[in-house]
Amino acid sequence: MGKVKIKRKSTLIDMTAMSDVTVLLLTFFMLTSTFLQKEPVTVITPSSVSEIKVPTANVAQILVSPEGKVFLSIAGEADPTVADGAWASEPIRKEVLANAVSEYNRLHPNKKVSLTEKDVEVFSKIGTFGVPFQSLEKFLRMSQTEQDKFISDMNNPQAGIPIDDNQNLEKPNEFQIWMRAIYSSGNDNLQASMKKGEGIAVKAGKDTPYSIVHDVLDNLQTLKMNRFSLMTALKTEAD
Amino acid sequence: MAQIEQSDKGGKKKGAQKKMSIHVDFTPMVDMNMLLITFFMLCTTMIKSQTLQITLPTNEKVEQSEKNKAKESEAITLIVDTDRDEQGNVKKDEEGRPKNVVYFYAGQPPIDENGHVINNTLERKEFLGDVKEGNRTVQRGIREILHNRNEKVLDKIAVLKEQWRKKEFSPNSDINDSIYQAKAKEIRNDSTLTRPVVIIKATPEASWESLIGALDEMQINQISRYQIDNINGVDSMLIFDYISKNGK
Repeated sequence: MGKVKIKRKSTLIDMTAMSDVTVLLLTFFMLTSTFLQKEPVTVITPSSVSEIKVPTANVAQILVSPEGKVFLSIAGEADPTVADGAWASEPIRKEVLANAVSEYNRLHPNKKVSLTEKDVEVFSKIGTFGVPFQSLEKFLRMSQTEQDKFISDMNNPQAGIPIDDNQNLEKPNEFQIWMRAIYSSGNDNLQASMKKGEGIAVKAGKDTPYSIVHDVLDNLQTLKMNRFSLMTALKTEAD
Repeated sequence: MAQIEQSDKGGKKKGAQKKMSIHVDFTPMVDMNMLLITFFMLCTTMIKSQTLQITLPTNEKVEQSEKNKAKESEAITLIVDTDRDEQGNVKKDEEGRPKNVVYFYAGQPPIDENGHVINNTLERKEFLGDVKEGNRTVQRGIREILHNRNEKVLDKIAVLKEQWRKKEFSPNSDINDSIYQAKAKEIRNDSTLTRPVVIIKATPEASWESLIGALDEMQINQISRYQIDNINGVDSMLIFDYISKNGK
């Protein structure tokens, strides 16, 4: 008779639209992301009003830890069409390593470093490195976690590229060997940006004493790399 | 949307199939996407760091006579340092961070021929920046000193900035920017105006932040002539003299 019919409604929610949105977001993040660089030490850079962006390609970054240890990272050409990919990060790192090791061996005939092809391959995958030449063989034969631990340990005397106040380029120190190897790596764009000063970026922490950074700046001056950039964070005018 | 209705209204075919609804559940897909998004969001660096470009003088020995001597009236020497006590130990605040200070003197260092400090003109300031007082900006600390010394240039640039804001050079903002930059550079390098020559020195104890701060002040105050120099004995002597006289 007067039976009220209650319509049965399905509780299923259509997730298609939701999925569409998430896929779009995902695409956006995938395309815009640049991954955080894995660095042996985390430094908080001082802030400045300068608005010049750090280049992501063709740059040699010098990371100075508060203890005075120096690390280097090399980024080559990002565009694979330039020079058929020969100037990309990995081939450039191999080239730099070959240059630096042969220079080191020439200067130290008694303590030669010999690397296998596999070592070179491993080196080309490392973002930030920093060990003395003598530890290079040992370092490159470690597993990745061991490598990270090796260079992140600030008490390890073998972490960081040895640097001193040497001004005689006939007998360069290890840092100078590396910088010169990077300069003459064969990547013309990298060399050009190093000449302009964009290609060398010095990154040091806020509270690092000037005397430590000064060592690095002094070495760059000796190398006649007088123009370089200092990494800073953006500060607003109101600050 | 996610279901496909297969309807066969005609039903003429012999092997007519039953009405079937294909429903694909997208919930796990959404779950997975959300996870991936979270991952990418956490791993990305949205803010790229900035750089400050500097040029250092060459290391080669320059003949004393060839050296470009700054005019005494224009020269100002900044020495960045951390706050230290009379013994020279670095003082730290509650957070364990050193306090940045900057000493400065104008012209020649105040010493006599024998290398003794005579009426030390060294003054001490801090990096304080601006404050807004009503609608005008007031410079404080070292910025005030540099601002006053470069006032002629800054005044001209302020006029220029106003024109730039109103896009008087060109309605196209890119062209407007580049004309503004070129004109500002011209003013910064205009030798008819009194402009200071700043020599920046840093003590070994000074923090990296304070040196960057000093370089930053050059940009803020539109000073085109500045250089980073190494600290020498006279400078440290002046600082110790200052601390011993004014130390708390």
